[in-house]
Amino acid sequence: KMEYKLRKAEPKDVPDILRLVKELAKYEEMEHQVTLTEKDLLEDGFGETQFYHCIITEVQGEDSSDGLKVVGFAMYYFTYDPWVGKQLYLEEFYVMQEYRVNKNQTQTRLGIGSGLLRHLSNLAMKTRCTGMMFVVAENNEPSVQFYKRRGAEDLSQEEGWRLFRFDKNSLVKMATPAEE
Amino acid sequence: MDFSIRAANVEDCKDIARMILELAEYEKIVDHVKITQKDLEQDGFSKNPFFHGIVAEVPEQHRTKDGHTKIGYALYFYSYRSWSGRAIYMEDLYVMPEFRGKGIGKALMSKVAQLGLAAGCGQLNFTVLDWNKSSLDFYLNQGCTDVTTDMGYHYMSCKGEALEHLAQP
Repeated sequence: KMEYKLRKAEPKDVPDILRLVKELAKYEEMEHQVTLTEKDLLEDGFGETQFYHCIITEVQGEDSSDGLKVVGFAMYYFTYDPWVGKQLYLEEFYVMQEYRVNKNQTQTRLGIGSGLLRHLSNLAMKTRCTGMMFVVAENNEPSVQFYKRRGAEDLSQEEGWRLFRFDKNSLVKMATPAEE
Repeated sequence: MDFSIRAANVEDCKDIARMILELAEYEKIVDHVKITQKDLEQDGFSKNPFFHGIVAEVPEQHRTKDGHTKIGYALYFYSYRSWSGRAIYMEDLYVMPEFRGKGIGKALMSKVAQLGLAAGCGQLNFTVLDWNKSSLDFYLNQGCTDVTTDMGYHYMSCKGEALEHLAQP
């Protein structure tokens, strides 16, 4: 039976957050793409300007003498849709493999992932957001199904929205005014 | 054509609200717009703004037949990528039809890029409708990538009843 605690992240959680970010990146075979450091996470999440918010989930370690272990997290921030207002944007959402609920297991309480999502949905409603937004890779079947089962709509498929990006180099080029 | 770009202030909300509706009309979804001028004033210009704006203006002699000199805008906010940190998201970019083709859209986007870089951002993200060929071409010409096509990233949303249901114990 999975007992877990869910709470707001604190500065001391930064090493665990980065560990989990790298674990998820490794699972997607993109570990080398993680350039974020603990220093960035500390400044950007707990400094003067807050760029992100984080919720973490902890379980009791195996021995009773072990402390609590951070096994999952959700990183989010608030965005704005000028047509319908505030949105909660879910940037990252991850639970360590060994702490996930198997479809085969009988469960007497929500798995950690579901618990995180419920907490975030609640938060979205409390802060008067009209929606929760996120991005999923279309070939990530388990994630796509996880979200669709809970009523998420695929705006790329249904409304034709494509996500575009300028990377750092293109940004620099674009920011430089052209010679007239 | 002479034009200037500057940060939006609360007095610009009337024109921004007008242009938001024009953009929604162009994107063929006007009835989706629920936000009013008052919402924009509260959400963009209070102590903790949820978005920022820049406005493009032309001198009086180039005003539209309805008397508008504010003829373009961009709305943006700061976001965060779990792998690379600070990013800037451009939510809206719009120039009134009669002022297009004069570099105003490019200048607005360039300003957003500058603001992003100044704030330490490593990416500028935004969405485009797949049928909007002239916009797709405009952006691809500026050197961006279509992350939906290249990486299969789909933009998802949980709203209305689905969100309420998810929030229930």
